[in-house]
Amino acid sequence: MKNIDNRKYIIALIFTLIPLIFIVRLFYMQVVDDKWKERAAQISENKVITYPARGIVYDRNNTKLIANEVYYDIEVIPNQTENPDSVTLAGLLGISLEEYTEQMNKARHHSKIKSSVIVKQMPPDEFAMIAPDMYKFPGFYEVERTLRVYPKPIAPHVLGYMSEVDSGDIKRDSWYRSGDMIGKSGIEKSYEKVLRGKKGVKYYLQDAVGRETGRYEGGEYDTLAEQGDNIYISLDAELQEYGERLMHNKRGSIVAIEPSSGEILAMISSPSYDPNLLVGRRLGQNFGKLQQDTLIPLYNRAAQAKYLPGSTFKLLMALIAMQERVIDSTATFACDKSLVGCHNHPTARGVSDGVKMSCNPYFYQVTRRIIQQGKHKSHFKDAAVGLDIWADYLYSFGLHKGLKTDLPAVESGFIPNTDFYNNHFPSESNPYGEFRWAFSTIYSNAIGQGEVLLTSLELANVAAIMANRGWFYYPHFIREIEGGTVPDVYKTRQHTKVDPEKFSPVIDGMWRVVHEPGGTARRARVDSLDICGKTGTAENFKIYNGKRYQLKDHSIFIAFAPRDNPKIAISVYIENSGFGGTWAAPIASLMIEKYINGDVKDKRKEDRILEADLMPIEIMNYKKNR
Amino acid sequence: MRGKSEKIWSDVDWTIVLIYLILVSLGVSNIYSAVYNPENPGLFNLQTEHGKQIMWIGVSMFLGLIIMFLDGSLIRQASFWIYGVIILMLVVVLFMPAINGAHSWFAIGSFGIQPSELGKLGVALALSAHLANSPPAKTRMSPSISLSYLTHLFRVNWKTLVILGIPAILVLLQPDAGTFIIFTSFILVLYREGHAGNALLFLVIAIIIAVITLIVADTTFMLPFLKIKMGGKVGIVIALLIMALIFLLLIRYVVLKRNRPPLYRALIGSLIVAILFVNFIEWGYSTFLDDHQKTRIDLVLGKIEDPDGEGYNINRAKAAIGSGGFSGKGYQQATLANAHQKHVPMQSTDFIFCTWSEERGFIGSFFLVLLYTILLIKIVSVAERQRSTYTRIYAYCVAGIFFYHFMINVGMAIGLAPVIGIPLPLFSYGGSQVLAFSLLLFILIKLDSERKIVLQ
Repeated sequence: MKNIDNRKYIIALIFTLIPLIFIVRLFYMQVVDDKWKERAAQISENKVITYPARGIVYDRNNTKLIANEVYYDIEVIPNQTENPDSVTLAGLLGISLEEYTEQMNKARHHSKIKSSVIVKQMPPDEFAMIAPDMYKFPGFYEVERTLRVYPKPIAPHVLGYMSEVDSGDIKRDSWYRSGDMIGKSGIEKSYEKVLRGKKGVKYYLQDAVGRETGRYEGGEYDTLAEQGDNIYISLDAELQEYGERLMHNKRGSIVAIEPSSGEILAMISSPSYDPNLLVGRRLGQNFGKLQQDTLIPLYNRAAQAKYLPGSTFKLLMALIAMQERVIDSTATFACDKSLVGCHNHPTARGVSDGVKMSCNPYFYQVTRRIIQQGKHKSHFKDAAVGLDIWADYLYSFGLHKGLKTDLPAVESGFIPNTDFYNNHFPSESNPYGEFRWAFSTIYSNAIGQGEVLLTSLELANVAAIMANRGWFYYPHFIREIEGGTVPDVYKTRQHTKVDPEKFSPVIDGMWRVVHEPGGTARRARVDSLDICGKTGTAENFKIYNGKRYQLKDHSIFIAFAPRDNPKIAISVYIENSGFGGTWAAPIASLMIEKYINGDVKDKRKEDRILEADLMPIEIMNYKKNR
Repeated sequence: MRGKSEKIWSDVDWTIVLIYLILVSLGVSNIYSAVYNPENPGLFNLQTEHGKQIMWIGVSMFLGLIIMFLDGSLIRQASFWIYGVIILMLVVVLFMPAINGAHSWFAIGSFGIQPSELGKLGVALALSAHLANSPPAKTRMSPSISLSYLTHLFRVNWKTLVILGIPAILVLLQPDAGTFIIFTSFILVLYREGHAGNALLFLVIAIIIAVITLIVADTTFMLPFLKIKMGGKVGIVIALLIMALIFLLLIRYVVLKRNRPPLYRALIGSLIVAILFVNFIEWGYSTFLDDHQKTRIDLVLGKIEDPDGEGYNINRAKAAIGSGGFSGKGYQQATLANAHQKHVPMQSTDFIFCTWSEERGFIGSFFLVLLYTILLIKIVSVAERQRSTYTRIYAYCVAGIFFYHFMINVGMAIGLAPVIGIPLPLFSYGGSQVLAFSLLLFILIKLDSERKIVLQ
């Protein structure tokens, strides 16, 4: 039958049509569509990241400040374990049975064939004790990790600490993955990108249960982890350590700068803590405690606390007045206590005298001449113009506008200007208003008591400017980056608006403060060091329940030494302890002597400071109750 | 006069022999790559899958040689005997211990044989013998939807149904659904011989309706224009009714009046059958199929996607094939479909196509598909040149079995067919299938080589 014979064509058609469909489909899957290639890579390849060791941080004398130490994570691959005895194993690992059970459940939940951490960051000595028994527990093994270690327990505020990245860090920089460590403060944060190094990548082939079966393409695409660059910072570990000892039982800060380079030699904030408290798993245990401590040890007073500068501010008033030519170095003003209170002393004849005796009425007069220059008939307009001239000078000293230093979270002090008194003071809702104030309203600023605020870092920088006679480098920590360069911003001189020759009478006064009878800081004298300094005593109060309580004065001293070719400039701020000359001045002199001579001769002076407990009363009470 | 041995070889179809040799040797090399174990590298090691495969190929070729020296008429006369022996084996195997949950194996040491593979051979021989002796299908009634026609069909075909049915049921009892499905390949033979009527057309229509039914059965949709929410099944029924209406109108206005009544009857009959069929499919799907079978069907229909769960096999298989790219990753370079990585399950048997395609790329997969296509067309042309009905029918049986295995195995690897565990003929690892397919081909070659002297 003919039409039945035709059926062979139908069959042949089917036999070619189906393969044709297959070929089209195969062409699409294998050549056109990349979806399956990606899926295959996802299935068969495993990307393992190897972590580099972090860069080491040295001080200026090549002493290790931050190093790395090996720790051990104990990990488990659940389906390789052989029913370990939980009690024995938990005991061996030094964790409670509940914790062990919880961690094991978590691990099983995460993956039966991939490893999960059971115990994090076991110190080497602890691991050494359990290592001989580990073989009894198949499926459990150790993984080396490096953690930061601080060989000397100093300068936590400068060095900073590290912790696991948070979601914000990952969002900001895709370099990080969940679980990575990142510098959270201090040098660790500022130089994170230098210190962190380069991660390595290894591509493995994995089988269906996730075991590695070989290297992808023989390791052709693998990269090695590269250790982070080592850095050398300007801190002098010995000086820092000494300063922290001196500041024991005192609240306040010390900042020391090498004037010729702007390098910060020491930055002490007290109360302090041991940076080793915030390493690895101890971070979790200790951070909360430190945060809740009423002594707020985490707070970096040296870079963040805004202080009244007190009489140290007078140095700047004298310099500005001379530069503005409203006085000359011989200007003499009587100590008129009706203007502003003062202690008893002979009349200051000239700027040098004024500085030496720290005469308040003298600097009232000096500053009045800056603010009220008589350029306008209106007293108020005149003050408005004068104040902005005054403020501009102070900005050129690095005040208010921010010192570009290499610590994160550095605060600036505050220098009021015309806008501030017009629109923001005494309160936002009820300010003085334009042309409603004059020097007589704001004169306290002349003696560092009004609205002006400086940080210890700024005070130290003022001391460095005095030492340099008019210029400074932004104070900074970085000295050298292995395989990198120090940013140019720290190699560029910043000039103040005051000419170098104007500094001579002021520095002369600073020398006399320390060396002459009637100077306010005789305790700071160290033979042959030619220390030049200026005391400050800041009145302050606190308001409790709407009542104003006068507190003990802050003791302030800024200094540099020697007078010629200065090697160190320093600011010392001891909160609620008394006169500047009583505490801050001797502490500064000890620091200077220690730095320049390497040792302190006057042990009585040293012991007096070491033994002094100057913790403010409120805190004393708290400590007793505790 | 030519000698006897010269006569034996003179009309052998060497093309089929060549394709056979290419397939088995590519198969061995591919299995070697798929299961390669550096600790056990020997090619002829009988502990390895490729070693066993080589042994089975050797056994098959030896049997093939014996077949070549037999007389074709002996095979034809022995058809029912062979069929009987194989049926016996299929019965006995049901009492063998279960391996992987199925009573499919005669195990001898580390070797095993699956009688179900040989079952195809038995049916092919018996069916050829039966149909060759049946009267030619010319005195048949014209198809209609009537009881008399159905009883006529049954009366003519009941022996065929029995020959097919016994082994099919025995295989199903193992259970081995995959091989059971292969038995439907004989519908091609029946179609070619004029016995199955328009069964092939109906089969295609039925598959289309079934697929649509399964896709939309458990969905609901809003009827356009009317805000009536309805189930998928109702939708199909409505669609069928609308189609019937269109045909009705076509008949009404295009066909001559005297020709209309039988067409009306056929239309109404078809409609009723179609609607019943839709319901039957849905009922059968939820009643007869195991959950894993339903899942496999749903995966192909795209109703579910579960790359790491139910869809694991097919997902890994597709990833392996797709990642081969145009020219492949190279021999022994597969990263998914090999025994070492084990991403693709059963990569040496059911999913052997994955290893091949991953390592050889599109060039390789195209070549292999082409090779099977050439073999299929070649067998059809061999069938059509026979004067012997027996040989022609037998050749179509062979073509159908090869085609089904090829279509389902490759189709499942590339996600066009549900996962049904059947091997790629002569290419997958598996002694029984190599033996069965080799014998199928060698018998065909032997019978074909006698085409000039055998008339019956």
